[in-house]
Amino acid sequence: MKFSHTTRSVLIGAGLILAGLSPALSQDREESQGMVLLRGLPTLDTSHSIAIIELDPESDRFGEILSEVEQPEMEHPLHHLYYSPNGRLYATGLDPSCSLAEVGLARDAGGAPVISGFTCLDTQGQMVGEDIMWANSNGQEYMFVTFMGGTGGDDGGSVGVFDPQTNEVVKVIEARKSQVGEGAPYIMYPHGISAFEDRMVVTSTVHPDLATGVGNMLTIIDLNALEPIENILVEKEKPLDFPSSPVEVLFARPGIHPDIEPAILANTMFGFETWKVPYDASSKSFGEAEVIYSGVANETAVPLEFYGTEDELFISHALPGVVKRYELAALPELVPSGPDIVADPGAHHMIFFTSASGRDLIAVQNNLLNLGNGAEDDPTDVDFIADLASHTISVHDLETGERLATIDFKERYNKGVDNLEGLFGSGFVHHH
Amino acid sequence: MRWVVLILAAAGIAVAGWMVWDRMRGLTATPIADFSAPFVFGRFAVPPDNPLTQEAFTLGRHLFYDPILSGNNEVSCATCHVQELAFTDGLAKSPTLSGGELDFSSMSLANLLWGQERFFWNGRATSLEEQALMPIQHPDEMGQDIDALMEELQASGSYRKMFRQAYGAVTPENTAKALATFMRLLISSNSKYDQYLRGEVRLTAQEEHGRKLFMAHPDTKVSLRGGNCIDCHSQFLTSGFRDALDGFSNNGLDPDETLPDGLMAVTGNPVHKGFFKVPTLRNIAVTAPYMHDGRFDTLEDVMDHYNDGIVVSDTLSPLILEADNAPEAGQETVGLRMTPDEIQAIIAFLHTLTDEAFLTNPQFSNPFEGGS
Repeated sequence: MKFSHTTRSVLIGAGLILAGLSPALSQDREESQGMVLLRGLPTLDTSHSIAIIELDPESDRFGEILSEVEQPEMEHPLHHLYYSPNGRLYATGLDPSCSLAEVGLARDAGGAPVISGFTCLDTQGQMVGEDIMWANSNGQEYMFVTFMGGTGGDDGGSVGVFDPQTNEVVKVIEARKSQVGEGAPYIMYPHGISAFEDRMVVTSTVHPDLATGVGNMLTIIDLNALEPIENILVEKEKPLDFPSSPVEVLFARPGIHPDIEPAILANTMFGFETWKVPYDASSKSFGEAEVIYSGVANETAVPLEFYGTEDELFISHALPGVVKRYELAALPELVPSGPDIVADPGAHHMIFFTSASGRDLIAVQNNLLNLGNGAEDDPTDVDFIADLASHTISVHDLETGERLATIDFKERYNKGVDNLEGLFGSGFVHHH
Repeated sequence: MRWVVLILAAAGIAVAGWMVWDRMRGLTATPIADFSAPFVFGRFAVPPDNPLTQEAFTLGRHLFYDPILSGNNEVSCATCHVQELAFTDGLAKSPTLSGGELDFSSMSLANLLWGQERFFWNGRATSLEEQALMPIQHPDEMGQDIDALMEELQASGSYRKMFRQAYGAVTPENTAKALATFMRLLISSNSKYDQYLRGEVRLTAQEEHGRKLFMAHPDTKVSLRGGNCIDCHSQFLTSGFRDALDGFSNNGLDPDETLPDGLMAVTGNPVHKGFFKVPTLRNIAVTAPYMHDGRFDTLEDVMDHYNDGIVVSDTLSPLILEADNAPEAGQETVGLRMTPDEIQAIIAFLHTLTDEAFLTNPQFSNPFEGGS
C-alpha cells in the first residue's frame, strides 16, 4: 500500500481544507493538480524538468504549467515520483549524477504550491533508480529503492535500503547472477517492488542500455535478513523472442481488501502477460506461477502499471494504449469491472481525482520511456519504443472511460512527459 | 558664512521636498521578502484587498502591542496574547476591564493564515479583519470607542506615517487590516515535529508511539489502538479548517442541561449547541489551561477527560462517542480507555509541537521594547 494513514493525514489532510471552496476559489483547487516529470527532447532544444500542472478539464488553466524547475545540467531526466508516508516527495532518476532525489515543495505568498528545488542523494554508486516503497524490516521502517543498473556491469542491479529520515544508505542488497553460483537467488535489473508481511518481491526487467540483457525472473527478498531467498520464473510466450522482462509487480494482500488471497501479480513488458504467483503466508511459500492474462490473446502489449482505487484495480497496456480495470475484491483473479479506458500509445502512469464539479476522473500519462523519434533525427530513438511515446496526458471520465481532454506536451511545451503523480498523492490506495 | 547659509538653505529645501514627496507618492507597501510556507500546511488565501506586505506587518505589530487601542490606554492585544505562551495568557479566562472574567479562554495565535473562515471559540467572526476590531470595542475587553481611537492614532506622527506607507489613511478598516496581517504572519513551522517531517530529527520511541496513537482511530477488530486525536484535529499544525463550519465540535465536556450555546449562538441551529472551535495543537504544551473555558490545568487532565470522562449529550461528536480501545470493559464510562503509558506517549508527542523559535522570534515581539 503506497499511502499509510499518516500519509493521508499529512497530505490529503492538507487537501481536506480545500473541500467546499467558493466558486471564486474553484480555480485554485489543488486536488486536480498533478506533478509531472518532463523530458527535454534533444531535437527541440528543451531541458528536463519537474512541474506542477493543472489537469481538470473544467479549469481555465487546464494543461498549464503552474510551477517548474528545470535540470539543464542533467543528460537524463528524473524518472518516477513517490510521496513518503510523512509526505516527503522523492524522485528516482536515470542520470548517474542523480539516481535518487528529494524534491522540495513550498507555498508562495499567494498560497500556491511551488517546486522549490531538488536535492540529489548519495546512493553509494547505485544507478538508474526506478521504484520506491516504504516497508518494515524487524519493526523498523526503511525506504527501499530499486536501481535497475545497480552498481554497474552486465548483470547489475540492486535494492537500496535507506534511512527514511536521513536518506542515508543503510544497506545495498545486491546478488549478481554471475557471482552467487548456480541455482542461488540473484537480483538483476530490478524495477518493480512490492511487499507483504516479511516478504518483498522485485522484478528482473532489462539492462538500462536496453541491449545488454533482459530478465525473466521475480526475486523474493526476506525482509528480516534483507537478503534474496528465491527466484521465480515468469516467462511463457515470447512474442518478441526476448525474455519476458517482468516490470511492475503488486503483492495482492488482505490489507488491500479483506477478501483477497495473497498472491504476487506481475506484468511482463516483453511477454505481454500478467502473472499470478499464489502465496501461503502460514508456510511462507509461493505456489506455481501462472499466466492470468495474455496480451497475445487479447491483442495488447507491454503491460506496465498496477493502480488500485477503493474498489478497482487498473492495469495499463502501452499498446494499443489502454487501461483495463478489474474488481479489487476479486484479486488475485482479474475479473473485469468496466470498459477499457482508451488512452494513447504508451499508456503508463495514472492518477485519480475529481473535477471542480465533482466528476470522478482518471488522467493517464502516455509514454513508455519518452524516447524520441528517429524520423526526426532524434538520437534517443530506439526501435519500436518510439511508437510508444505519445507525449500526452489524456483525461477521462472514470466511470465511462470517455476521453474529456488531452494535453500534448510535445506540441505545447516541446517536451515529453515521463511520469505523473497527484499533487496530494495520486488518489489511489494501492500501487505497490 | 554666506556659503554655509546657502548650503543649509539647500539642505532645508531638499528635506522639505523629500517630505512633500513622501506624502504625495502614495502607497509604498512592498511584498514580504522571500515569503515561503510549508507545503504540507495546505492552501491559504489572503484577501485581495489586504495583501501581505512588510509595511502592513510593521503597522499591525505596533498596533498589536500598543495599549493605545484600549479605552483606558492600559490594555493591548498582547495583554491576553503573550508571545512566550504562544499568544495565550496562561489564564482559564481572561480578565475583564472591571476585574471580572470573560466567557472564554484566550486563544493561541499561530498559523492563522490557514483556517481563515471562522474565528473565536464560537466562530462569531468570519474573517481576521472582522475579528480584529471586536475585542477593541468590546466593553469588557478593551472598551475603546473606535472613533476616539482613530483620533488618537491620527494625532501620532509615527502612526500617520506607518498607515500612509501601508494603506493610506488612518481608518478603522485599515487598522483591522494591519492587525489581521500581523496575525496572519505569525507563522510557526519549526517545532520538533516540523523538523521531523523535514527529516532533520528523529522522534524518540515514546514520541513516535504517541504520534501513531494520535493518528489512529481505535479499531479493536484489527487490534488497532488509537488516541482518536486526528479525527477532530486533522489541521493540528495550523489554525483549523478553511471551510465554513468544519472544525467545530462538541467534545463531551458538559451534559445537555448545562451545555453552553457555542456555535449555536452564531448559527441559531440547535445541532450546533455545545460546538466549539477545534483549536490548533501547535505549541499546546505552553498554552495551558485548556478548553474554551480553561477548565483543565494540564495535558494530563485533558487526556483523562478523553480517556474516561466524556459527558454524553445530544450533540456529542460521534467520532468521540465511538472511539473506545476497550469496549469489552463495559459501558460505565465513555472514553478512549488507553493505558497510562499510551497517555504519556501522546503527551510526549504533543510536546514535539512546541516551536521555541516561534515563541522567541524577535520579529513577533513587542516593538516598543526595543524589538527589531
